[in-house]
Amino acid sequence: MDTVVVTGASRGLGRFCADELHSRGYRVVGLGRTPPRDAAFETRAVDVSDSKSVAAAVHDLRRDASVYALINAAGIASMNLVVTTPSETVRRIIETNLLGTIFCCQQIAPALIRRGNGRIINFSTLGVPLAIKGEAIYIASKAGVEGFTRVFARELAPHGITVNAIAPGPIDTALLAKVPQDKVDAVVRQQIIPRQGTPQDVWNVVSMLLAPESSMVSGQTLHVGGA
Amino acid sequence: MSAGYVETETFIREEVAQLTGQAVGTITGDTVLVGTGRVLDSADLVMLLLSVEEFARDSLGARFDWTSDSAMSEARSILRSVGSLARHLTELPAET
Repeated sequence: MDTVVVTGASRGLGRFCADELHSRGYRVVGLGRTPPRDAAFETRAVDVSDSKSVAAAVHDLRRDASVYALINAAGIASMNLVVTTPSETVRRIIETNLLGTIFCCQQIAPALIRRGNGRIINFSTLGVPLAIKGEAIYIASKAGVEGFTRVFARELAPHGITVNAIAPGPIDTALLAKVPQDKVDAVVRQQIIPRQGTPQDVWNVVSMLLAPESSMVSGQTLHVGGA
Repeated sequence: MSAGYVETETFIREEVAQLTGQAVGTITGDTVLVGTGRVLDSADLVMLLLSVEEFARDSLGARFDWTSDSAMSEARSILRSVGSLARHLTELPAET
């Protein structure tokens, strides 16, 4: 049974992906700051922005040949103008979204390298190409994820591992709960497909990237909704 | 029983030889692993580190976590050569 490690598995897209994977017979190790009590999959408490916390949480997985994929879905956002965003908020967003992705990749990649194949799926946002006002810090963190994804894909290609990013538009999750609907609608209108996406739309892309047939797709950012 | 320096260096030399396709006799303690004159490309270096991690655990009873902050901050000196890596491994504290 293949193991998939999912960060941000407590809620939102991470939880949706973890549930889908579990229902399809994968062993899921869900990482989250506050692991859900109602999950049918294995959960572990971790702060992805803390490299030591990540290392301790997944140490046993580094030599686990069943580990096939890592899905970095942990993320936080805060809509605000750059000049009115507190420095601590800036730091938290960058640390969770960008450093968290990097730290988890550092710890799980050795398992995939040992195995000789695997998948890493990071999460960006459609906000990067759309340059949405009020999301500069969030978008900066995700632009970093995209750059990291492209380079890490090159580093892991010799080991049969693909690294890609999925960049959804506004999806109805907890992350979007505080965003006014008119703002959401304005972003959706800019998408190539002007419909608000669902967690299922995102899962469809995750599922495609996990498939063995996607072994020639790496270093890419796939925009759900189009930009 | 824990392996000593000679066994550790021999293991690394054999691993490097296998990864590079060179004869073991051409790999010495001075063989460069990173930087100018290196014999391994980046993908082979990762494979070497994975093998060394297992060797440290199985033959030295020690933990060589090459993704730890302390190892990464000293990576250039630890990985400079076969000999420097072997010395670092034999100086690792045994895990209790």
